[in-house]
Amino acid sequence: MATATENNILQAQPRTVGNKNDARRIRSSGKIPAVVYGAGKEARPVSVDPRQVARILDSESGHNTIFDLALDGEHTKAMIIDWQYEPIKGALLHIDLKRIAMDQKLHVHVPIVLKGEAEGVKQQGGILEQLTREVAVECLPSDIPTSIEVDVRHLVFGKVLRISDLPPYARVAVLSDPNQPVAHIISVKEEAPPTPEAAAAEAAAAPAEPEVIKKGKQETAEEGTEEASAEKPEKAEKKEKEKK
Amino acid sequence: MLMPKKVKYRKQQRGRTAGKAWRGNELAFGDYGLKVLEPGWITDRQIEAARVAMTRFIKRGGKIQIRLFPDKPVTKKPAETRMGKGKGAPDHWVAVVRPGKILFEMEGVTHGDAFEAMRLASHKLPLRTTFVERETAARGARGSET
Repeated sequence: MATATENNILQAQPRTVGNKNDARRIRSSGKIPAVVYGAGKEARPVSVDPRQVARILDSESGHNTIFDLALDGEHTKAMIIDWQYEPIKGALLHIDLKRIAMDQKLHVHVPIVLKGEAEGVKQQGGILEQLTREVAVECLPSDIPTSIEVDVRHLVFGKVLRISDLPPYARVAVLSDPNQPVAHIISVKEEAPPTPEAAAAEAAAAPAEPEVIKKGKQETAEEGTEEASAEKPEKAEKKEKEKK
Repeated sequence: MLMPKKVKYRKQQRGRTAGKAWRGNELAFGDYGLKVLEPGWITDRQIEAARVAMTRFIKRGGKIQIRLFPDKPVTKKPAETRMGKGKGAPDHWVAVVRPGKILFEMEGVTHGDAFEAMRLASHKLPLRTTFVERETAARGARGSET
């Protein structure tokens, strides 16, 4: 079993908690803001080098990599729990680091890798659709698998690969729902080029405008208008009296 | 053409498209996607044209997901009408997109076919887009721009 533990060291510098301007200044200086918590100790805001973090995230074990966090001259085992990307260019914005006790079990999400070409794709002309890409597991930090590989060569139409079908790993307990589907074979109908008649029929069948949701009940609206109309003559009478 | 079934109000104001797509910016279903790089409006006709372009290219090879929905009505005054006399009648529907939004996703096709299908789809859209795939999607728009 390939484990996720590697001898990476992530250097972290303590920072003072500030507002978003302070976070922006850290990013412009080439670092990214991060926070370290876990193991019963208080949370500490730090700044880290995004290139080191990207190297960890892009490694074979990905975000499940356990590395040494160097902070204030101390080395503690940690892993990346959460990370945020900028939506356009994909730069790292912030990460959450968690201190790990190597003798305590933890919950992690491990990627599912489908191996082989499914029979439903090869012979029946279907498409392999992967519905679940990660599975929640509980294990010791040293036992975290890099990925869970499943052979899908026997997958055909009508059969669903579920979490319960995943191969068992020693000292790794699966937490996800056993009935949760992982992959299946689907068929996609080829779209015929539209004929002018079909296009005209479709245009005629489609409503021009959607239905507008009316406010409140119809009756209350009517009552409201009646009340309003009853109030109006009284007000008119008052105005006439004032004029006199 | 895509449009809502029910709406609360028939007409809307234009609004602003400032900021980035902080949601809907990662691949959720497929292996390949088309990410928009500019803010703007995409009409129901443009979405349909892009979908048809992709579907015709991949034939029955893959599955396409549409990750945007035109839920904003756009009104238009009749031709040769003087200004005033109220807002025009609803004309078409648009989807408001901000940079980073994944517009379409695809799976069950090869990388080359997905890239070509997305390239054809991008020509039907009024905004700059980029092709993304599962490895690069999480890291943002590293793919080649179309």
